[in-house]
Amino acid sequence: MQGIESYWGRRALDFVDAIEASATGASVMSQFEKVIRDLGFHAYIMAGIPEPGQTLAQVTVANGWPLEWFELYNRENLSAVDPVPRHCFNTLNPFEWKDAPYDRERDVAARNVMTRACDFRFHEGFCIPIHYDDATGAISMAGERPYLDAETKSALHLMSVFTHGRLRALTRSGPQGPSRRLSETEAEVLRWAARGKTAWETSRILGISERNVRWHLEEAQRKLMAPNKTATVARALVNREIMI
Amino acid sequence: MPEIHVVRKDNSHLYEHYFDSYFRLRYDIYVKQRKWMALDRPDGREIDQFDTKEAVYLFAIDAGQLIGAMRAVPTLSPTLMSDIFPYLNLRGPIRRPDVYELSRVFVIPERRGEHVGPRVEMLLLTAIMEYGISIGLTAFSIVLESWWLPRFERIGWKAHPLGLPHQMDGMSVLAVLVDCDEATWKSLCGQLGMSGPTLTWRGLSDVNRRALPALSVLPPAAAQQTR
Repeated sequence: MQGIESYWGRRALDFVDAIEASATGASVMSQFEKVIRDLGFHAYIMAGIPEPGQTLAQVTVANGWPLEWFELYNRENLSAVDPVPRHCFNTLNPFEWKDAPYDRERDVAARNVMTRACDFRFHEGFCIPIHYDDATGAISMAGERPYLDAETKSALHLMSVFTHGRLRALTRSGPQGPSRRLSETEAEVLRWAARGKTAWETSRILGISERNVRWHLEEAQRKLMAPNKTATVARALVNREIMI
Repeated sequence: MPEIHVVRKDNSHLYEHYFDSYFRLRYDIYVKQRKWMALDRPDGREIDQFDTKEAVYLFAIDAGQLIGAMRAVPTLSPTLMSDIFPYLNLRGPIRRPDVYELSRVFVIPERRGEHVGPRVEMLLLTAIMEYGISIGLTAFSIVLESWWLPRFERIGWKAHPLGLPHQMDGMSVLAVLVDCDEATWKSLCGQLGMSGPTLTWRGLSDVNRRALPALSVLPPAAAQQTR
């Protein structure tokens, strides 16, 4: 055990050093893909757990699923019935897909997701939940017969969390990524709303008309598919489209 | 808003009345709630071999009540990482005058996840950075639960792993080294909307302190007034 552990321990630390020194998301992801391939995984995703009204595509940080599966998953909104993302709310620790609990007799929808995943050579998977105060996400990966002993799971855990963190740091420091849906004015208006300003107060602060402020709020609400202003602010914060 | 007090051997006599509740709170949190039974003691207080004269404590005190705390131990002395969990650190022992090890970071349950004012844990994480800069530290070593990592990343605490996570009593735990620098402190202050230092150094006027950087970022309230 000690021998394998020091091998994967060393390899995981070297990996983290390398991605911390990498300047682009593309370079970080190609290193991540290589190392998980060595462990028998051919597909992965890093994403928030979609809330009701959100699709997986809207909360995806990095997408390494086969295109067909990603489209199917979004089109049929499988995140609503998939036991793997659901289990992320109930545990702080990484887990194998087979250990995500669901009622194998009655929960036909959940069983179907797992069965259909096999069509994409997703026979076994490993999932690492990511918890923030106000949001939950996950890094999930799949393969036909991946290495999933205690040491490689630890190494995967470490490498995945740091890859996810590095990607976020690079996105934050670089120009706004394509994931951002709000215009600068919409984001500005929401930032003031988040601080409790009324539309009228925001109009005074920004020197635009109140009607204009309301219009930007409406637009933001529509883009984020939120039911009201409070939910719009909440979603913009969770999605990191605004920061207070 | 809670005050964050520096408590160390040179001023601990001023905080004697807090220490009893401090060790009882640790017992409630680490033994009763988290079930770290190795720390169990018959007197209902959790005190370990690292609570020495070298240890530095941050006490979060609100209206005379201790609501959170953190412990820092110099890595030139024995630490959790060196004596209890050496296998978590594959990069080699850390024994440096400019690195302290953090442990026993907690907020009492009633004050967790508050939505009024800054969060107590954020205040503690900001305050320890201020302490580190003030006394010339460059990093903190920590043995912590892995779920902290995304939270550290989100608030801008730069953590470097020292080894693989291990399962301990059903929790994934690992060792990290976190940068202690001015940029991180300034960013934390900006996130909290703080315009200046927060630490209270009661009875520590003899301590030689380095200057803190000026905070250039205005808190939201001030930004509003200048418009």
